[in-house]
Amino acid sequence: MNLIKLIICIFLLLAGLFTYLSATLGVGRFNKAMSRIHASAMGDTLGLFCILLSLIIWKGPGLASLKMAVVLIFFWFASPVCSHIIAQTEASTNEDLGDLEVLGLDDETDSDGEFAPDDEKRYDS
Amino acid sequence: MDTYRTFLLGSMVFIAILIIIAVIRSAIGPTMTDRIICVNMIGTMTIVEIAMLSIYKDEDYLVDVCLIYAMISFLSVVILTKIYTGVYLEKKGIKSGPGAIRHNLRHQVSTDKPPVSHDEPRSADATPGEAKAAETGTKD
Repeated sequence: MNLIKLIICIFLLLAGLFTYLSATLGVGRFNKAMSRIHASAMGDTLGLFCILLSLIIWKGPGLASLKMAVVLIFFWFASPVCSHIIAQTEASTNEDLGDLEVLGLDDETDSDGEFAPDDEKRYDS
Repeated sequence: MDTYRTFLLGSMVFIAILIIIAVIRSAIGPTMTDRIICVNMIGTMTIVEIAMLSIYKDEDYLVDVCLIYAMISFLSVVILTKIYTGVYLEKKGIKSGPGAIRHNLRHQVSTDKPPVSHDEPRSADATPGEAKAAETGTKD
């Protein structure tokens, strides 16, 4: 029983390390910031999940394991928000986005009740 | 057991090497967005490092440090992106919001290749956008 727990913990630890290695390689090698966001978010979610699950299983039930689970749940909420904000920054400040396929850009420009008319008047030079 | 502690030590060294690689990548990142992405990833790796150190040293209070660090890392990314976007848009005289993204998408640097379209373009008079007008012009 102890050996099974050890094997599971070490496997999860190595899986998390592999995820972080691929996340770092992806951030280092991809050529666009949008691709780098994807690689970084993968390490944020899957790598943190694997390593913290390994630590939780090794530690057993207790207050420290509960706090680690809280860290994991908090980061699973925070990481998509981070990715969204970074992608917003990239989309509104990078002047050479390349061949991005933008969904719904042409549909919203003419008649959409939310913010299109003001923006059309204000930003079209 | 000592086997798991040995693996934890190796993992901590490995994550430290990855953090150094991410720092180098953030130093050579051409735009500000790449640096913010690397800062986000460094924060996550530091959280993992602190959690592993807490198990390795068998000190429970380090998990509290880990929790606080997660919140501060999230806050730092939010503030960095908001300040950078605000300064950039203030220099160009654009109001922040979804209109800024649309403004940027409409004024992209024109490439040599024609725009890729997967479906047939609809009626040209419905959309007065420049991209649609250019596309129909090339098709005619």
